[in-house]
Amino acid sequence: MGSEFSKLEHIRDIMALHGRELAIALVILIVGLYLAKWLTGHLKIGLGRLTKNANLISIVSNIFYILFLFVVIIAATTEVGFKTVIIFRFLMVVSLAAIGVMVLFRPYIPTLPFKVGNTVKVADLLGKVEATTFLNTRLKTFDGKTVFVPNRQILNDIVINYHFTKTRRIKVDVQVRYDQDILTAKRIMESIMLADPRVKKIPRPVVYTLALEDSWVKLGARCWVDNPKFWFTRCDLIEKVKYGFENEGIRIAFPQVDVHHYDVDEPIEFPAEDELA
Amino acid sequence: MKIGQTLKVIDKGWIRKPKGFRVHYQRQTDTQLETEFTPELDDPPLDSDVAAWRTAWKLQQATLADNAEFGDGQVFNIYVVDDEGALVKYYKTNAFKIYNKFSCPDAHNKA
Repeated sequence: MGSEFSKLEHIRDIMALHGRELAIALVILIVGLYLAKWLTGHLKIGLGRLTKNANLISIVSNIFYILFLFVVIIAATTEVGFKTVIIFRFLMVVSLAAIGVMVLFRPYIPTLPFKVGNTVKVADLLGKVEATTFLNTRLKTFDGKTVFVPNRQILNDIVINYHFTKTRRIKVDVQVRYDQDILTAKRIMESIMLADPRVKKIPRPVVYTLALEDSWVKLGARCWVDNPKFWFTRCDLIEKVKYGFENEGIRIAFPQVDVHHYDVDEPIEFPAEDELA
Repeated sequence: MKIGQTLKVIDKGWIRKPKGFRVHYQRQTDTQLETEFTPELDDPPLDSDVAAWRTAWKLQQATLADNAEFGDGQVFNIYVVDDEGALVKYYKTNAFKIYNKFSCPDAHNKA
């Protein structure tokens, strides 16, 4: 009890001696932290107007934030009475140690396989990454929902990151009836792809005869487009193939079973089981 | 001829890949029909003829006149052109199409 009382007395003495400096240092720290965030946010907006490179914006903003934080910490500690040189040296040592640890152990640290702004498919959700925190990732799906996915689940799941591939293959499969000219159908599909400005010249668009099914011939058109244009191009191609077939008289097959009835006088004799064996 | 050269010949001679599409229309003024485009010629063109034809149709729907008289500001001869200014066939019918057809010698010539 006595020792605790002496501790309180000691704190009281410190506050009496350095209270004003401590209060000013605290104000500098709080205002500095708030200012650092505010300035970094505005810097990001400003840089966003100059360049669309999200990585560059992020790096420059982070460097600015760290440097500003350095200045704030040094100003606050100097106000308390610490020597600037010592604080500066301490911060440098901490920074270098942090960088060293990151460089050495980065391959062993589990990291999320995407960055903010990437379009990803994870946990059966397709959307754009809005933010990542230590615990979860904020995803904005294309139907407008904001979903928070736990990072633990992301690290254990298969992630498709559409950002890393600049181009993507479009697949349009159609079924045409057996009595239709499949060469005409293939020509229509290929010409539609070739005439579209969004479809890449290389790799060349191709149409395959994929299968001879029970009631139709399956044709498959394949072409490559820039990733952001994938969805609209695919929808347009499907629409144009449909109308292209109609214009050229190609009939698309639909699931059906043809039943042929033979009107015979004599009953049909089925082979005995032992004959079949 | 090598296969690469053959493919170049095919690309050049078979089907042309336009660089983009614009909706052409003419606006009635006091004295004449003024030709305009959307997107404008200074802006990048649309990369989809489906989107361009849809825009043309919507433009026609928005400017349909209740009466038959042609007044100032009405829009005629709405159709889709490619990057070379040539009329583009309507993909639905595979034929040339002009909405609100009034008079457009250029279009008739190209068609």
